[in-house]
Amino acid sequence: MREHKWAIVVSATLLVAGGILAATLGRYQINLHTLKHILVSSLPGSSVEPELATPTLVLWSVRLPRLIMAVMVGSALSVAGAVFQGLFRNPLVSPGILGVTAGAGFGATLAILLAGNSGFMIESSAFLWGLGAVVLAYQLGKRSGNSATSLVLSGVIVSALFTAAVSFLKYKADIYQQLPAMVFWTMGSLNSVVWKDALRATSIIVPGIGAIYLLRWWLNPMALGDEDAMALGIDVAKARVIYILIATLIVAASIASCGNIGWVGLIVPHMARSIVGSDHDALIPFSALLGGIFMLVMDTISRTLPGGEIPVGIITAMFGAPFFAYLLVRSDKGAWES
Amino acid sequence: MERTDLVSVVNLDFDYAHKQVLRDVNFEVKRGTICGLLGPNASGKSTLLKCINGVLKPRGGHVSICGTEVGSLSRSKIAGLMAVVPQQMTVVFAFTALEMVVMGKAARLERFRLPSRKDYLEARRCLDDLGIGPLWRRRFNELSGGERQLVLLARAMFQDTTILLLDEPTSHLDFKNQFMIMDKVHDITRAKNLTTVISLHDPNLAARYCTHMVMLKEGHLHFEGSRCEAIHPDVLGGMYGMNVMIESTGRSDVVVLPG
Repeated sequence: MREHKWAIVVSATLLVAGGILAATLGRYQINLHTLKHILVSSLPGSSVEPELATPTLVLWSVRLPRLIMAVMVGSALSVAGAVFQGLFRNPLVSPGILGVTAGAGFGATLAILLAGNSGFMIESSAFLWGLGAVVLAYQLGKRSGNSATSLVLSGVIVSALFTAAVSFLKYKADIYQQLPAMVFWTMGSLNSVVWKDALRATSIIVPGIGAIYLLRWWLNPMALGDEDAMALGIDVAKARVIYILIATLIVAASIASCGNIGWVGLIVPHMARSIVGSDHDALIPFSALLGGIFMLVMDTISRTLPGGEIPVGIITAMFGAPFFAYLLVRSDKGAWES
Repeated sequence: MERTDLVSVVNLDFDYAHKQVLRDVNFEVKRGTICGLLGPNASGKSTLLKCINGVLKPRGGHVSICGTEVGSLSRSKIAGLMAVVPQQMTVVFAFTALEMVVMGKAARLERFRLPSRKDYLEARRCLDDLGIGPLWRRRFNELSGGERQLVLLARAMFQDTTILLLDEPTSHLDFKNQFMIMDKVHDITRAKNLTTVISLHDPNLAARYCTHMVMLKEGHLHFEGSRCEAIHPDVLGGMYGMNVMIESTGRSDVVVLPG
């Protein structure tokens, strides 16, 4: 950890600088000078100058909640990805491995079908079904040996089940109103994020990442395998439930707020590992920071593209897949081996 | 005091789903001895070690350490009593040798605590003690088989227990490294007065290093006793199901050969 302090400091600085830069960019340009003025005039006791009314509104009501959400979601997916990869000893595992993505997708689709376009209903339903899917996968895995392998297989089964259910709901949906909403939801977007959403997600993600941060070192022995971890003195079954529970909570909170944003949780831990190594002591905080930066960049690209906004999930996939291919071809045996 | 750190295996039965693996196994290991665990493939050696370590729960009988049943202890208590050197390990993630050794601290750390700077220094000392200090920054996966076993042995030392369990630590090593590892195990057992249980494929290694021997055959206890009694054509031949000759090399060593 001590050796990697610099990486943490540099990435934290980059995250702040990136946040400031991203706040100035967008369809409505706000230059740094104006940004400073808005921030100063937003302090208690000052009044907003009339000519700054529009940029103030854009910054406070549109851009800031969105920036916060981007950082939260990026950090949450990356940390959860690192946790799941460690727990299942597989660098190809993504946060959706235990079915949270498929479950949340089902929850959102169901809410769109039954409750129309209520944002709150969609989010709650996605969150709860996401958790439910993981509970189901976990119970199934527990009954079939309670090993890391049986859990992964159970996750695959549960995901398949919920994916089929989503297809069924889509088939039954009204093709002019509901189907587009369902399709759009699964693309994953940070569009239309408001303070309420950002705060709700933050209130789950920040304590969740905090808890994983406190427990991060124990992922090292867990990553050696069940028997070895037990021999080293760890109650593997109990520890695994705790990590799965926390990681699932933060992923469900992310997906519920902005749909399925793929690849982040898979590639950010990879990048982080190639920079600070595999020790979770440094890997977890660095993944959180790098994930925040990554998502900030992706979201800024998605909303500043000349042809109009594209859902950020599409951008992460377009960037993520080739990047992953590059990692594979480079085959840096040092970063991971299987 | 005489019964301190005595490993007792009492009437141990174990089966995997449909297959009985261990049947009524009884033996004891006293402190300061290296107990060799011999037996053909699939005779239950690894299973027995896992039962001793409490990773597997026996169907009948029990394992106790100085009178305390292993089954009644928590994982961290067990890890405070005995350390395990696994058979052959490949790690998916690129941990360094030092990071691997420091993991031996897990059982002694309080929740939410991390290994301290002092722990890292002590872990390096464990590597130094085994003569592989300079490897501390190297990635575990890039080390040779012998070096990996030494790192795992250093981890067991850092775990700081009185009982040491080794599961075929020599099976993937070349000729020289087999003796190198066994020499280290022998020296450590002497120096720290450990109770060491080691499963081995090669009766010659057992004959050279183990003062006490336990032999399994098809899950039964075939033989338990001292080295002199164990290295006998009838005992070894009966266990492996073949004719065995024992030749003296002129020095104190003997060589076990197929007859």
